[in-house]
Amino acid sequence: MMVIGSIVLLMGVALSALSAFGVWRFPTAIARMHAATKSASLGLALVVLGSGLAASSPGIIGIAALTTALLFLTAPISGHLLGRAAYLTGSTDYRFDALAGSQPIALRLESPSRADFSLLRWTGLIAIWVLLWRDFSVGSILGGAAVGFIIELSRRSTANPVPVNIPALARFSLFYLVALVRSNARVAWEVATPFQDDIDEAIVAIPLSVASPQAALLVANAVTFTPGTLAIELAGDPLTLYAHVLHFEGEAELRSEISRLEKLADAVFTRS
Amino acid sequence: MDTVVTVAQIALGLSALLAIARAIRGPEIVDRIVAVDLVLLLLAAGVGSEAAISGSELYSAIAIVVALIAFVGTVLVARFVEWRDVP
Repeated sequence: MMVIGSIVLLMGVALSALSAFGVWRFPTAIARMHAATKSASLGLALVVLGSGLAASSPGIIGIAALTTALLFLTAPISGHLLGRAAYLTGSTDYRFDALAGSQPIALRLESPSRADFSLLRWTGLIAIWVLLWRDFSVGSILGGAAVGFIIELSRRSTANPVPVNIPALARFSLFYLVALVRSNARVAWEVATPFQDDIDEAIVAIPLSVASPQAALLVANAVTFTPGTLAIELAGDPLTLYAHVLHFEGEAELRSEISRLEKLADAVFTRS
Repeated sequence: MDTVVTVAQIALGLSALLAIARAIRGPEIVDRIVAVDLVLLLLAAGVGSEAAISGSELYSAIAIVVALIAFVGTVLVARFVEWRDVP
């Protein structure tokens, strides 16, 4: 266990070091973000997981799972916001820029439509709270109920609720995992080889044909973690995904990869 | 195990120096945000690796908190950068 843990820990450290090298070496802000968002998140998750394995502590491994989940929720969000800020304030010349000439991307906060209270979700929040504290007393449950109630009350939904298909979600996660490993290998390759010479950044537009906004969100998140692409904006009607690519080889190839993602994401939100 | 963690922490420290160098050189504010965000993630990894020796969950919990602070900070500053020129 100790050996496996050490190996996982050192792999995480290697990925973290790699992303630091990438942030140092890559020529533009968004290119640096490719290194930072993809490798550093996985690196941190692996370091925590490796420590848990090395110490043979189920508690730490549980926290590692939580870290992984949180990082994979947060990294695409910060990547998206930073990418937008970098695009709007930066002065990079793109050989191909699908966003050029369009209106400056505006903040589109849809007005919250209705409160969305779910007893099931509330119970789930209480369960998470109690498990995190590992304290099964009445006080802990009441505390969780209070915090969960506030979270549920402040929750607003703008999208229609959709059923989640668990087997399809598992398939999507598997695809996501493979893409993640591939994209980290790609970043490693970019960092290790002379990069400045063949840099060919571009912003491409990919119209999405997904059935629900939830599926569009999944696709955008996954695009941030697929090799060489970073989702910058999701806008318009029909929904169009604007992505930054490190090496522009035409939109066709990217389209076919994303249509695969769309099918997988749509399957997650259809009743089986 | 001690050796592994020491090596890991030295490597993370050197990486953080590289990221700090990028934060100083910039040139644009977004470059600095990316670099500082990375420094915090490396810090989280350094603290989290300590758990391998002590077996204490506290270090992993601190790592999560640092990573989340990095996220919140990044989001805040990215929003600020985007909107500071808007009248």
